[in-house]
Amino acid sequence: MNLTDREILELNELCNAMVDGTITDAQHARLSTWLLESEPAREYYVRAVGQSASLHSYAAEMHAEAAQPEPISFWSWSRRSVWIAGALAAAACMAIVFLAVGQRFHPDVRSPNSKSPVYVARLSAARETKWSGSDSLIPGALLHKGQHLELAKGFAEVTFDSGARVVLEGPTSFVINSAWDSTLTHGTLKASVPPQAIGFRVVNRSVDITDLGTEFTMSANADGITDVLVLKGEVEAAPRSADDQNTILLKESDARRFEVSGVSTVSKNAENFARFAEFEPVNRFSSDFHYAHWSFDETSTPMLGRYAGAVTNREITGALEGAPANLAQARTGGQWQQALRFDGELRARTSFPGLSELTPHTISFWVKVSEDSPLSDAYAMVAWRANTPRLAYRPVQISWNRNPNEGALGALRTDFSGGCALGTTSLRDGRWHHVTVVVTPNEEASIPLQVKQYVDGRLESSTIIPGRFRGPAGVADAEMNDVVWLGCRLGNTGPRQERFRGELDELYIADRALAPQEIVQVMTENRIPASAIARADAPTTVAKF
Amino acid sequence: MSLSSESQKQLMALMTRHQRQIFAYIYTLVPRRHDAEDLLQETSVVICEKFEEFTPGTDFVAWACQIAYWRIRYSRQKYARSKVVFDQTVLDLVARTATTLAPELDARHEALAVCLQKLNSRERDFVLTRYEPGSGVEEAARRSGRSLDAAYKALTRIRKLLFDCVSHQMAPGGTA
Repeated sequence: MNLTDREILELNELCNAMVDGTITDAQHARLSTWLLESEPAREYYVRAVGQSASLHSYAAEMHAEAAQPEPISFWSWSRRSVWIAGALAAAACMAIVFLAVGQRFHPDVRSPNSKSPVYVARLSAARETKWSGSDSLIPGALLHKGQHLELAKGFAEVTFDSGARVVLEGPTSFVINSAWDSTLTHGTLKASVPPQAIGFRVVNRSVDITDLGTEFTMSANADGITDVLVLKGEVEAAPRSADDQNTILLKESDARRFEVSGVSTVSKNAENFARFAEFEPVNRFSSDFHYAHWSFDETSTPMLGRYAGAVTNREITGALEGAPANLAQARTGGQWQQALRFDGELRARTSFPGLSELTPHTISFWVKVSEDSPLSDAYAMVAWRANTPRLAYRPVQISWNRNPNEGALGALRTDFSGGCALGTTSLRDGRWHHVTVVVTPNEEASIPLQVKQYVDGRLESSTIIPGRFRGPAGVADAEMNDVVWLGCRLGNTGPRQERFRGELDELYIADRALAPQEIVQVMTENRIPASAIARADAPTTVAKF
Repeated sequence: MSLSSESQKQLMALMTRHQRQIFAYIYTLVPRRHDAEDLLQETSVVICEKFEEFTPGTDFVAWACQIAYWRIRYSRQKYARSKVVFDQTVLDLVARTATTLAPELDARHEALAVCLQKLNSRERDFVLTRYEPGSGVEEAARRSGRSLDAAYKALTRIRKLLFDCVSHQMAPGGTA
């Protein structure tokens, strides 16, 4: 059945929103349903989105032709090659491979081109470990993209920033590819993947395992023969054998052997299942730290917070700033009891000891932004000013993205001197979202912070877009140190007139990088888990970080 | 990978001729330029690795798009957090439709060039600025002196104009 004119108009609008990155959840659901149920709708969608692909192509060709002639550097070649490869027919296949695996198409926009390591995981626990080569890792050690772990003996647990946890049993050779991806070269591992890390992968030369929320073990020998046993839930296994690359769904208690020659069943070895079920290390990383919590529930003093740690527990003060009429309407129902409503006039201030220093911190809160919130209300939800020349004494601001050229409109955005981090989920949908931003110092001068952003407990981004425009640097100002501003844009010398409009609830700030599972616990239980706070008399493995 | 010199030449010729079509296929499944380009890049690697398995004379685009499809599936965890990805069922259905319509999309691409010429220069510059590398709606709005809201409305109108023009060109009796 053909589409009516009215349906075509609606479908056209949905396709435009999809291509422009402005699609709302409701629109996305509507489009998905349509594409699921109607072949004419699918055909219209493919033609309309295909037209945008063609427009990208024509625009890039004209753009390239208009550009000044220049020597074809590797990067200019890479950026253009999508569209004008015809002019470069002499390039060899190896060049394609080098280009593709070595860098991205837009390193100048998307990638920090970082010389310093990008940390994506942590060694969270260990037992009787012995590392090969020069490695000498202890619990708490940060692990970077591309890092090879050569565990000669013992057990080591790696917690990825995505929340996935992998226990290695030596001898094992393991590579950390990203927060979502790893390679088991040989050895044995057990992976535990919570819901927020669904999609985590472990690959090797025989099979790609994509976890669908589960626990599984994987054991590979030097020849690549790999046994996979699913302990809980299910995984998707894509064999890499030449003959059979059909994906296999493995469910609880399923086991398969993957090798270059094909896939075979494995006798369900009860001893193996039992052994892996108790496959746990003991020496778990913990560190002393402090945190503050503002619930916004106190009627007379909504900005009263509590600052706590292993041996500390005291109040922390703050204030709402605005006209009496704004203050009277500042309280509203929140995700947990009461929340603060920022109406475009109101702002608030409080403090957190040490926040302005270039040390690890975690900032977490609930936020609700209306679906029709104008771009002019997209200023900082939470902001503070850095007290370090490495951040040019400029503010760090957490807001939602109002620049569709740089990322999804409404997505979580953290700006600092040197760049910004951008998420993907739009916060601008009238619903409560839990937001966590983890900032840690970076060794590289041009990008002094690593920023990891979690939305609703799920890691969204850890890539920094380098800043292209910088205003004047600030100067040291003790008055501004450690002051936390809510609901307003922050300049080098103090708050500006631009405001955030929306609601905030349950603000937590901690002076260390919380682990993914701790972030989920803060979200679901509205408290810092007791296990995360080291007792004063308990030995700590690594201080902070 | 150890492709012979002759194979490398063949591969480059095929990629040169068909890269746009592979990109268009990926873009219909992952309609964000940066993501689609990344996937095209990853797909290119696999195409290189597997090129010895390609049978000369068969449909290179269909073979390459199949590789792209699997790359998209493998990369789903990356896009699962974004709004611009569909669930697996929808993805499979759209992929099937995109494969079926591939010849038509080629013809539509050619017809689009004609239709772009029919736009007045202000509209043509505006829409091409929107799609320029590194640009977007905001930049197109800025350069054309439109507000962002007006720019989105103008884009909707121009895209529909182009779509109808291309469909007209494709219809029996059209010039395409």
